[in-house]
Amino acid sequence: MTQARITGAGPARVAVRPDGLPGLGLLIRDSMLIAGRHLRVLRGNPGRLIYPLLQPVLILVLFVSVLENLASVPGGLYRQFLIPGIMIQNVVLTAPVTGLALVRDADTGLADRFRSLPMPRSAVLTGRSASDAVVFFAQAVVMIGVACLLGFHVRTGLAGIAGIIGVAVGFGTALGITCAWLALIIRDVETAERALYFPFIPLAFVSSAYAPVGRLAGWLQPIARVNPVTSAVAVVRALANGGPLMVPVIHLAAWIAVLAAIPGALAVRRWQSSP
Amino acid sequence: MADPADDLVIDAAGVTKSFGSVRALRGVDLTVPAGLLAALLGPNGAGKTTLVRILATLLRQDSGTVRVLGRDVLTHPYAVRSGIGLTGQYAGLDEALTGWDNLMLIGRLGGLGRRAASQRAAELAERFGLAAAVGRSLRTYSGGMRRRLDLAASLMNRPALLILDEPTTGLDPGSRIELWSALRELRESGTTMLLTTQYLEEADRFADAVHVLDHGVIIDAGTPAQLKARTGVQVVDVLLAGQDAAAAVASLRGTVAPADLRLDAASRRLTIRARDGLGTLLAAARLLQADRIDVADISLRQPSLDEAFLALTGASRR
Repeated sequence: MTQARITGAGPARVAVRPDGLPGLGLLIRDSMLIAGRHLRVLRGNPGRLIYPLLQPVLILVLFVSVLENLASVPGGLYRQFLIPGIMIQNVVLTAPVTGLALVRDADTGLADRFRSLPMPRSAVLTGRSASDAVVFFAQAVVMIGVACLLGFHVRTGLAGIAGIIGVAVGFGTALGITCAWLALIIRDVETAERALYFPFIPLAFVSSAYAPVGRLAGWLQPIARVNPVTSAVAVVRALANGGPLMVPVIHLAAWIAVLAAIPGALAVRRWQSSP
Repeated sequence: MADPADDLVIDAAGVTKSFGSVRALRGVDLTVPAGLLAALLGPNGAGKTTLVRILATLLRQDSGTVRVLGRDVLTHPYAVRSGIGLTGQYAGLDEALTGWDNLMLIGRLGGLGRRAASQRAAELAERFGLAAAVGRSLRTYSGGMRRRLDLAASLMNRPALLILDEPTTGLDPGSRIELWSALRELRESGTTMLLTTQYLEEADRFADAVHVLDHGVIIDAGTPAQLKARTGVQVVDVLLAGQDAAAAVASLRGTVAPADLRLDAASRRLTIRARDGLGTLLAAARLLQADRIDVADISLRQPSLDEAFLALTGASRR
């Protein structure tokens, strides 16, 4: 290492980033850079994308094949009822990945590097969420494709399919942000790996994902009614089978806003404060 | 009106930081003028990393004021971050990316455009002997290569102040020399640097100013020559011929303060800080002779750097 000489900074000065103070433009730019980091990692390690795409396909095929003829629901085929439930359940069980990724990063030298760079504090979270949104998108596309092969019918056509994918991406991202906050509270990676799934198993099951709320055990019904999973599944079912859309969409939008905004702000604070 | 404080790249006063009941920093004053390579020297647990993390805006101090590059770290952390580069104890790199992608990511998050970042990345990769390796995943890098890439990453945005936390720990001698030559070049081009180290010899050879941190306070500061002049009193070595070291110690108590006397019982060697130089040697010899203590060897010598450091940190411990 004797070639060119290193050039440094010249006289001491504060060279504020030429693109100015952290504003929305900078947040978007830096989030894209962080998302690009994660997507590059996916490109270099394709297994990290392939397995999250294979697993929901496996679950979808198995669940539909095993359960399709077991139950009957009012007003249609159980398959049409079940597949939206499986899709949203998959979103719920994928969401902890966002939190685990963030907490794995949180105590590393790289996190310190990010904290010492003139970037908006929230870009690490929003960037990770953006790259995970790409994964949610890919999963939803693959699941819809396989579901259609299994005989799933979306009555509202292409717009409905786009809507279903949008629900998966939006709901998954919001849950992922919630997981980021929970994981950063737990802080220990291995504990988070074990603990994060706990709230999500009842969240997925105590809902209308597998059975109408009215058929659940009595004490579960009030919980299932307010469960955001019930709202998300209701929107997907309405898009697939027809039916009133307005009320479940408003419920779901409210849930997404709350789950992204409050835990999001708290997660950013936790991220910034190093131990 | 030029305020002298304007030339201070680091200006910290009365900095305290506690973690629960552990008082990591107990009122640190530290100033580093522009263009200097300053070393923060101290044993493990002295508070070096805590201080570095406060300067780099990673931690908030409990009390005291810290200005870096003229900006307050609590009120203007963003401006401070725009002007600093940090090389922490653990590499600030993504193991799953290539060296090139790491440099580009950090450069662009620091505010460089794509072209400026790739020019700078190429320049630094070349300078640090990584041109052939930047296309590979970091998982294939040796420890030394990873350190060099980490330093290169810290330099992507041409920081006015480079902060390095124990940059030479764990490096082989060759890599250490390479690192120091890079830091000297940077200083010539005007970059101010603060680095922490446990190695007095490094601080002595390379730093313009040394700040000795022990138990959360700066106990001495100055050029290496000043520090040695202040603490580097000569040393009398006494090698005892007999077994009764306790008697020898008792005998010397007459002229030597307990703090200036160290006994290594295993080698039966007494070390005395010779505050009077030859006078201390003569006084010690007379006392030992009067008490009929057998001495195999007695000599006066210059202190080692370790002893100067121990004298400093030992004094603060009492």
